[in-house]
Amino acid sequence: MADTATGQWHAVMDVDDLWEGELESVDVEGTSVLLINLGGNQVMAYRNRCPHQDWPLQDGDLDGTTLTCAQHLWEFDVTSGRGVNPANCALVGYECKVDEDGTVQVRV
Amino acid sequence: MSRYVLVGGGVATAATATGLRAAGFAGEIVLVSGEPHLPYERPPLSKEYLAGTFGRGDFQANPDGWAADNDIELVLGTRAQALDPGLRRLSLSDGSTLTYDALVLGTGVRARTLPGFEGDRVHVVRTIADSERLAERLVPGRHLAILGAGFIGCEVAAVAAAKGVRVTVFEPEALPLARVVGPEVGHAMLDVHGEQGVVIRTGELVTGMSETPSGVELRTRDGEVVECDDVLVGVGSVPNTELAVEAGLDVDGGILADEHGRTSAPDVYAVGDVASRLHHGRHVRVEHHDTAVRHGAALARTLLGESEPWTGEHYFWSHQYEHNVQSLGRLGGQTVLRGSLEERSFTVFSLADGRITGMVALNRPRDLLQTRKVLAVPHEVTAAQLADEDFALKGLLPQRPRRSEVRA
Ligand SMILES: Cc1cc2nc3c(=O)[nH]c(=O)nc-3n(C[C@H](O)[C@H](O)[C@H](O)COP(=O)(O)OP(=O)(O)OC[C@H]3O[C@@H](n4cnc5c(N)ncnc54)[C@H](O)[C@@H]3O)c2cc1C
Ligand code: FES
Repeated sequence: MADTATGQWHAVMDVDDLWEGELESVDVEGTSVLLINLGGNQVMAYRNRCPHQDWPLQDGDLDGTTLTCAQHLWEFDVTSGRGVNPANCALVGYECKVDEDGTVQVRV
Repeated sequence: MSRYVLVGGGVATAATATGLRAAGFAGEIVLVSGEPHLPYERPPLSKEYLAGTFGRGDFQANPDGWAADNDIELVLGTRAQALDPGLRRLSLSDGSTLTYDALVLGTGVRARTLPGFEGDRVHVVRTIADSERLAERLVPGRHLAILGAGFIGCEVAAVAAAKGVRVTVFEPEALPLARVVGPEVGHAMLDVHGEQGVVIRTGELVTGMSETPSGVELRTRDGEVVECDDVLVGVGSVPNTELAVEAGLDVDGGILADEHGRTSAPDVYAVGDVASRLHHGRHVRVEHHDTAVRHGAALARTLLGESEPWTGEHYFWSHQYEHNVQSLGRLGGQTVLRGSLEERSFTVFSLADGRITGMVALNRPRDLLQTRKVLAVPHEVTAAQLADEDFALKGLLPQRPRRSEVRA
């Protein structure tokens, strides 16, 4: 999942503030990062830009594990970042972890 | 080994090719396109590519190595000239012939031209070449006249104005875009263009042109003469059906196809803009990127024996300046406004018998995404509910347990 294994860990928010099923975007040193809480303390982090034409993704719709971009309706599986429709693309993922105290950390 | 031949270098045939390989089709795939490029998306031609913010690589349907990686034979810069469905044979402009086990026609449309409007200063936008040719002419201080305030006319106007070009748009109807998206969006976009300095002359028709040593003189129906440097003709399109007509396929506007994309000839299919396809009981031909991709992808499944047709809603968008127009489903009948015209943030729903049939929105991506799900399920809603912003569209969806509850 870690497409970008370089970079620094950054504490971005508390997992309790990240609702399951919602899309949240945070700024990490100038990079907009999309956070998704899959439940069970599993949080995914992606570059907040659609691989299609770079529009931000937080206006999209998350239905179960499918994220639909609000611009031209490309769909992604947020558990893997993989494109569903079309299939030949993928979200850019960042390493992400939830500390014991609930702090969400992203490596950017 | 079977050979599937795809004609057209647009997103529809590209999606079929991708879908076939993704599903494990091991036969030959040959893609023939009259254009010298890998299949590409056309929407940026009147937007980002014309503006210069996208390069060529930013709107290819697939990355560079795609054809080689997927063993797809590309025959580019070559036109399919004749089709013999009896012999299952296609003749190409380079003199060669191809036999096929299945043939997919994704020949799209071309820009409609106007008799008497031609020459170095007259433009249309349908291809990369068209967009590049026009982009060279968008120099600050020049005057561009656009015939037709449809999507392409309005999008080019927005790009040209941002580049400092003086723009005048002639539109015989009372509002831009209104025939497709209705008066609310038409009015809003008329005002937006006006604020950006674009002059949209509605109710006016240009009837003739002549070239002068330094530019072009246009004559309007009312006898006025307007000087400009360049002319964009944005008056619609003509489906590329000649190949199908000459081969004796049923054609009525577009190439007639059933809900799977099957034409009247055996093993010949039509996808994308050129197809007039059975959709919820009637033949519909649309010129939308999304529909072309979905037709193409669904056809791959059909070719591999799956019998589910694509029955999704037709969707299209347009970007002009910072504004976003999006439309879904069937418009018409009773309409309901949700949101604010003044703030340019609204959705106009079309309603029939307590059901939403379609919507068009200005700067309301959330409404679009919710409505898309609502249209896919049985629902009942009133005009008053839709008009009330406190009424959540989500409430029209069947309630599902949250994932955590499922797990519990
Ligand atoms: C400038 C512009 C802006 C647009 N903007 C939007 C937008 O914002 N939103 C939206 O939803 N839609 C938009 N569209 C529409 C969208 O691009 C089309 O719906 C889409 O391109 C259809 O894809 P297609 O594969 O069916 O056909 P096309 O993309 O038209 O491809 C057809 C291909 O077939 C080739 N061909 C034709 N005849 C032959 C032959 N005999 N032999 C070989 N090859 C042949 C052509 O050269 C072409 O490569 C826009 C279109 C244009 C032109
Ligand atoms: S930018 Fe996301 S689908 Fe086009």
